[in-house]
Amino acid sequence: MIFMQRNEILEQINTIFIDILDNEDLVILENTTANDVDEWDSLTHIQLVVAVERHFKIRFSSKEIQSWTNVGKMVDSIFSKL
Amino acid sequence: MIFNSTTFIIFFFVFFVLYWFVFSRSLKIQNLILLVGSYVFYAWADWRFLAFLVGVSALNYILGLKIEKQEKISTKKILLYIGVLQGIGGLAFFKYFNFFVASFNDVSQKLGLSLNFHTLNLIIPLGISFFTFRTVSYLLDVDKGKIEATKNWVVFFNYVSFFPSILSGPIDKARDLVPQLEINRKFEYDQATDGMRQILWGLFKKIVIADSCAVYANIIFDNSAVCSGSTLVVGAFFFTIQAYADFSGYSDMAIGIARLLGINISKNFDFPFFSQNIAEFWRKWHISFTSWLTEYVFTPLCITFRDYGKFGIIISIIINFTICGIWHGPNWTYILFGFLHGCFFIPLIIKGTLNKRRKIARGSTLPSIKEFINVLMTFTLIMFSFVLFRANNVEQALNYYSEILSNSLFQIPVYPSRFDSIIVLFITALFFLVEWIGRENHYAIATIFKNNSIARWMFYYILVISILVKFGKVQDFIYAQF
Repeated sequence: MIFMQRNEILEQINTIFIDILDNEDLVILENTTANDVDEWDSLTHIQLVVAVERHFKIRFSSKEIQSWTNVGKMVDSIFSKL
Repeated sequence: MIFNSTTFIIFFFVFFVLYWFVFSRSLKIQNLILLVGSYVFYAWADWRFLAFLVGVSALNYILGLKIEKQEKISTKKILLYIGVLQGIGGLAFFKYFNFFVASFNDVSQKLGLSLNFHTLNLIIPLGISFFTFRTVSYLLDVDKGKIEATKNWVVFFNYVSFFPSILSGPIDKARDLVPQLEINRKFEYDQATDGMRQILWGLFKKIVIADSCAVYANIIFDNSAVCSGSTLVVGAFFFTIQAYADFSGYSDMAIGIARLLGINISKNFDFPFFSQNIAEFWRKWHISFTSWLTEYVFTPLCITFRDYGKFGIIISIIINFTICGIWHGPNWTYILFGFLHGCFFIPLIIKGTLNKRRKIARGSTLPSIKEFINVLMTFTLIMFSFVLFRANNVEQALNYYSEILSNSLFQIPVYPSRFDSIIVLFITALFFLVEWIGRENHYAIATIFKNNSIARWMFYYILVISILVKFGKVQDFIYAQF
């Protein structure tokens, strides 16, 4: 069940990433990092955060956002708030 | 001890032999000799601040371990604040105390108040702007859990004081440098020859290009009050080329020296004058510093202001670049320089093209006309902003700009040794041609004449001879003062 929920979150995040990073072919995994995606930089990172917050109707703390080292950590944060 | 000095060559030769051939059997001893070498290098410049450097290293080493171990969030925060305040506070005290006092006195005088605080006779510890940024980023990363605190004190002290980059960067983050200091290093011939080649290119940039351009930039800036607008444009051009060749040349030498020691440090320049807009320029100029600011200033600010959309980004970028300006030194010219560059980003943010990456001349030898115009316009913008960077004060910069905007812009430029400067311009043009050809590489000549050893060695000899011809008329590195 937990795995399914994480998977579901990941799928929804993937749609947000495709939209914000304007890359139809993008497939993100839990271990994907900003280094793996050309369009993912400091600025698009903020746009992703805002889009994820709006989509899931949650709010991250500044420290939480800066401690993410990969997509999996972002999923952890979302998961803990749902 | 600057890299392009006989003293450094002797120091490095002795150090190199000890590092690779006498003390290389044990990593512990090799790291110890590296630390001793770094301290000798640092103390040679000014021994009075060696104790300060050791103290800062010790404090941050202990704080890193304590922050990591501490489970109580409030105590963790206090420990982090102590470290960050020590770093930024130390920097502010040594570099800016007198500036704040003098500015305060000026303002109080203008308001008719008779407040007059005394300034202090301070000497700034060399490299403080660079090693402070290392220690601060280390503590912030440990606090956020991005890295583990370094347990080995010799490794940590080496991270803070690594001699190839302590005086003028690149500013490496612990996550990049520390792991390299923790593993056995083996002498690799290819890595060493590549390091030598990068040092040669750095020396050429500094001694042949930067120091030659400096002659004309200095003449024109020192006499700017009596120069025509056209001459001032020439002065701004020479200074812009000098600044790039000087600082990127120093960085090439630092990176090359580190490679001779088996360590890879950050790339600091990526052919910034081929940038098509100001955002691209700052992604390619002083990369280790701008990426530091992006991670620890711009991104947290953007996160804080994320609800304000583009306005939040504009505020963040202006604060970020004003800090970038202040970092360069206690002068309003630097602060305005940073602020101005922050403002240059506004059209890109509004248009939403801030992070659009357009690689120049992709798949072709020459850029398109549009790309060429973009490059030329970006260079012109940078060149004019560099007047602020070079001017002694804001008044001189404003007079400089107003003369450029006058009718004298259309006169023929006049300055001493005008015809000699044409040779310098010709060599500079050749230099940029080599940079253009090698722009896909880590540095311009990394793979030059790769398949033609005769041409390659002839090219190296030309560089060596031109360096030897100019050696001895050395000017200081611009960034050593920061």
